[in-house]
Amino acid sequence: MMAKELFPEAQELRKGRIRIETIKDKVTEIIKKLKENGYGHFVMLSCVDWIKEGKFELVYQMWSYEYREHVMISIKIAREGDSMVTLRDLFPQIETYEREIHEMFGVNFVGNPRLGEFILEGWPHMPPMRKDFDTEKFVKELYYKIPEVKEE
Amino acid sequence: MKPIEKEYELFIGPNHPGATGNMSYHIWVEGDKVKKAETRVGYLHRGFEKLMEKRIWMQNVPLVCRICVPEPDVNEASYSMAVEDLMGWEIPERAKYIRTIILEMARISAHLLTVGGIAASLGIYTAAQWGVGDRDYLLDVFEQITGARVYHIYIWPGGVRWDVPKNTKELLTKVLDYLEKRMPLYEDLIIKNKVFIRRAADVGVIPKDKAIEWGVTGPNLRAAGYQLDFRKLEPYAAYDKIDFEVPYYPKLGEYEVLSDGSDIYTRTAIRMLEMQQSINIIRQALKDMPEGDVLLKHPQWFAWKVPAGYSYVRVESSKGEFGYFVVSDGGKKPVRVHVRGPSYTHGINVMETIAKGLNVADFAPTAISLDVCPPDIER
Repeated sequence: MMAKELFPEAQELRKGRIRIETIKDKVTEIIKKLKENGYGHFVMLSCVDWIKEGKFELVYQMWSYEYREHVMISIKIAREGDSMVTLRDLFPQIETYEREIHEMFGVNFVGNPRLGEFILEGWPHMPPMRKDFDTEKFVKELYYKIPEVKEE
Repeated sequence: MKPIEKEYELFIGPNHPGATGNMSYHIWVEGDKVKKAETRVGYLHRGFEKLMEKRIWMQNVPLVCRICVPEPDVNEASYSMAVEDLMGWEIPERAKYIRTIILEMARISAHLLTVGGIAASLGIYTAAQWGVGDRDYLLDVFEQITGARVYHIYIWPGGVRWDVPKNTKELLTKVLDYLEKRMPLYEDLIIKNKVFIRRAADVGVIPKDKAIEWGVTGPNLRAAGYQLDFRKLEPYAAYDKIDFEVPYYPKLGEYEVLSDGSDIYTRTAIRMLEMQQSINIIRQALKDMPEGDVLLKHPQWFAWKVPAGYSYVRVESSKGEFGYFVVSDGGKKPVRVHVRGPSYTHGINVMETIAKGLNVADFAPTAISLDVCPPDIER
């Protein structure tokens, strides 16, 4: 069955592009249902920082080779103090996307044992893909400093 | 006598002829069998996605091509297609054909490097030298058309930057004729070479029933027996008007089927066949290309405001599905651009899983046959 039939609330962005807005408790069920119904290719998991709303949007994207249709499942979670469960058991590659989002945005995925250092090494600062991470300020503070000369 | 049980750790890369670029594999070996592998990345992260949020839409075009070194054009094409999708633009017909030619030239040049790389990892270094040398003839044509050899910055939102030079057909035909003549030599050296066959057949197998679930795409998926290609499934540029075949296992054309597929041998054979198809595609596109404009008359690009929305576009690259997820809030800059590189799945999850049980000498050829390209893992 196609995504529109399974989830009538789904919105069609254009031909072959479907977007489903939902809440985090329903995601596992939706992805399982889509996987059983021919949406066998998990394309990617993205994170968008909506800083004005104070939310992160997680977008789970799937594709059906059968129907030639791409589905984006969107959920919003709070920027601070919120988490999402891992879905690595459904598609193994989700694990890698979760590792990157954890590192770059600071989203916690409960149940993923490989969260931790992935691309960055020894990074004590704020996760860099967050909108409030000011790259210019960071560079100026880190590299433009003139070392102080201590007088003996 | 009890065998000595001893496990040791091995680091392949980031500076190793068997590593596929600036990345490393940390493997645990017992005897000469790989017990466990972990992909280590982080040598190449350049923060493109963060940079893109700070620049206006047009300023990102010269940036995106730098994401993938062997095949930069897929990035230009997919980023441009995402902007066009959000803007609701339909590009001129001639531009579609030019994009097809550029993308297929990029495919051949990337495949030449990969096929040569696979052969080199099995000791056939000549093929790698030939691959780099023959790719140069294509780079010459790129230089004639776009003005640059590696990062072309030629495909723009709205079409292509300028029309191709008048002598493109002659230039390109000459190179294609030459490449066609070279193909039998590559075949003798690689596909029909007994040394290659013994090392490559039934080695580095991706289970066929798991291929789609694991996110395998492109030539690796077709080697596993699926006739799936986004040029056919979701045609972009002028692919819907061009007649071409999608080689897949077990339809290997004139090559012998020597294994159950989804191994190094089949993946190499599929790439060889794809190069021949690409030559056909370019010939057809050159013949059928209509006259006309190549770039939309769009507003001055400093003033672009892209309507709010979500867009995902994909291009069939030489490595697999290359996708751009672009989010706009209606402003002058993108809110988020997320790049889906095919190596993200091939190089990490798939490689870590299929590495278990491999002979340590087969590790590098397996990684290269998956065409893992670290620049698209860490953008």
